[in-house]
Amino acid sequence: MIHLAKEDVRHTLGKFIVTAMGVGMLLGIVLIMMGVYRGMIVDAEVLLNDLNVDLWIVQQGTLGPFAEASRVHEDLQYTIKSLQGIDKTCAITFQNIQLPGNKGKVRAFAVGYDVYGDINPINPARLIAGRPLSSDHYEIVVTDKTGFHLHDRIKLGRHIYTVTGVTHGSVTSGGDPLVYISLKDAQELQFSYSDKRIQTDRARGIINRDAHMVNAIIARVKQGYSAVKIAANIRKWYHKSAYTRKQQRTVLTRNVVEKASKQIGLFTAILIIVATIIISLIIYTMTLEKMKEISIMKLIGLPDSMIIRMIVEETLLLGILAFMFGNIFSHIIYSKFPKRVVLEIPDAWMLFGVIMAASILASFVGVKKVINADPASAIGG
Amino acid sequence: MNNNTAIRVENLSKSFGDGDSFIEVIKNASFTINKGQLVALIAPSGGGKTTLLMMIGCVEKPSSGQIWIGSEKVFDNKWLTNQTRKIRREKIGFIFQAHYLIPFLNIINNLTLLPQANKTNEKFSKAKARELLKYFDIADKETAMPSQLSGGQNQRVAIARALVNNPQIVLADEPTAALDMQRSVDVVKILKKIAMEQKVAIVMVTHDERMLPYCDRIMKIEDKTIIFT
Repeated sequence: MIHLAKEDVRHTLGKFIVTAMGVGMLLGIVLIMMGVYRGMIVDAEVLLNDLNVDLWIVQQGTLGPFAEASRVHEDLQYTIKSLQGIDKTCAITFQNIQLPGNKGKVRAFAVGYDVYGDINPINPARLIAGRPLSSDHYEIVVTDKTGFHLHDRIKLGRHIYTVTGVTHGSVTSGGDPLVYISLKDAQELQFSYSDKRIQTDRARGIINRDAHMVNAIIARVKQGYSAVKIAANIRKWYHKSAYTRKQQRTVLTRNVVEKASKQIGLFTAILIIVATIIISLIIYTMTLEKMKEISIMKLIGLPDSMIIRMIVEETLLLGILAFMFGNIFSHIIYSKFPKRVVLEIPDAWMLFGVIMAASILASFVGVKKVINADPASAIGG
Repeated sequence: MNNNTAIRVENLSKSFGDGDSFIEVIKNASFTINKGQLVALIAPSGGGKTTLLMMIGCVEKPSSGQIWIGSEKVFDNKWLTNQTRKIRREKIGFIFQAHYLIPFLNIINNLTLLPQANKTNEKFSKAKARELLKYFDIADKETAMPSQLSGGQNQRVAIARALVNNPQIVLADEPTAALDMQRSVDVVKILKKIAMEQKVAIVMVTHDERMLPYCDRIMKIEDKTIIFT
């Protein structure tokens, strides 16, 4: 049994493979784009999952520190802790900082927490070297992505901090590395002013009251109590916004990641359309190159079905090969991207389905050429 | 019509266009070609040779008239079947100016492609193809690609392809146009031998008058009509 597609591909194997590799690279980029989106979701939830708290209490009318500025007094943690059903609380700050690295500034997201408090935001599973913070001052735990190592000394604000621990995989939704400092250090970094400003303020009789502000109070609920009910209670009686973990996750994914995901989704859709057009053009060109042979095949009596089968099979083979090359390509390069890229098998299968559908669609242009080919054109010059 | 008739044509006409662009190429052509005959078809350039060949070959639709292939009437002012391609596949063999073998198929696959389309047993069709390759003295080339063969060898493969389905007629459109004198004579002699041995009617379009002595009959298109000399 002669398999026309197989024989034709074998005849032009090198060209076919190079073409499939080219389309594959495009599909590889599509997979990477999907991976970037997945990575963004994973990154966004790193801190949320590591903190593992049931309630987020933030400034009234705000969505919380991941979405917008929020300030509450640190003492609020004691008030919240006194509520029925609350097990543990922690005052916490979040701020963007620039760490002075060897190759210039390293942008990081600093989490400030009470070292002696109830909740430690550093996930022990992520700690690959050293220890969590144990002192109120001048210690810092960094993520390996920052490039700093254990015992490195980093100047932040007015003081020198020593790296006491190194974590792996701690990042924000934006892909920035997380670093952890004590609440007091964080408050000083965030709210203290320059010496001149302090002098001026003192002369004016202004006292810096911001030094005891934090961005949020986080809390864990005792077993058997409803975080939803406690959150409602806090909103009603304490004039604060309170979110459950599910609500805070929604804030993160909807408000912070949604636009980025839409953007990536649009890019992905455009790339798939471009890949379909490219496959169509390749198949059209491949069919055009064979028009003489196709006319002869029709003239000597070969049924259209045999010729169409050849075109469709070649298109599908091109799609399958391109998909395979795309996967190989994306797996080779994904670790080189600065942001987390999560390649998931269901995404790859979804792309496979889309590419198969696109290939069938693309084969129509070749099939149309076959149907319209004039067998009489095989005769004569 | 006797059993020996391979092609019969009655009052066949073909014209193109209408009004000022109306051109009549063949007018009321009537002839019969018997099995075993090698017939040369000659005409000046643009005289309608290829058009006549295409009409007999069920490729070009005539304007009017009747055509029989063997005992089967295939055209009577309209095609009597909507499967003209099946008729071509089963009853007609084609040879072209150039070999026009499928470049991505090796020689044996070029020969067995048509039988495969006819759903002929693969073993049987390969045996037939090998028999033809042996007949044309190129049995050792069955796994070669057309690009690896000389022009003459490829033309012999093309003739073998035209015969592989045991056609009733073979239509050859200037099969020697791309060959030198000696090879042209060889090809025409082969066609003559095939016509006689396999009882096939062969219509060969040619410009080369040196090939005419090898043919049984010469069919000439002159002023749109067919003349046998």
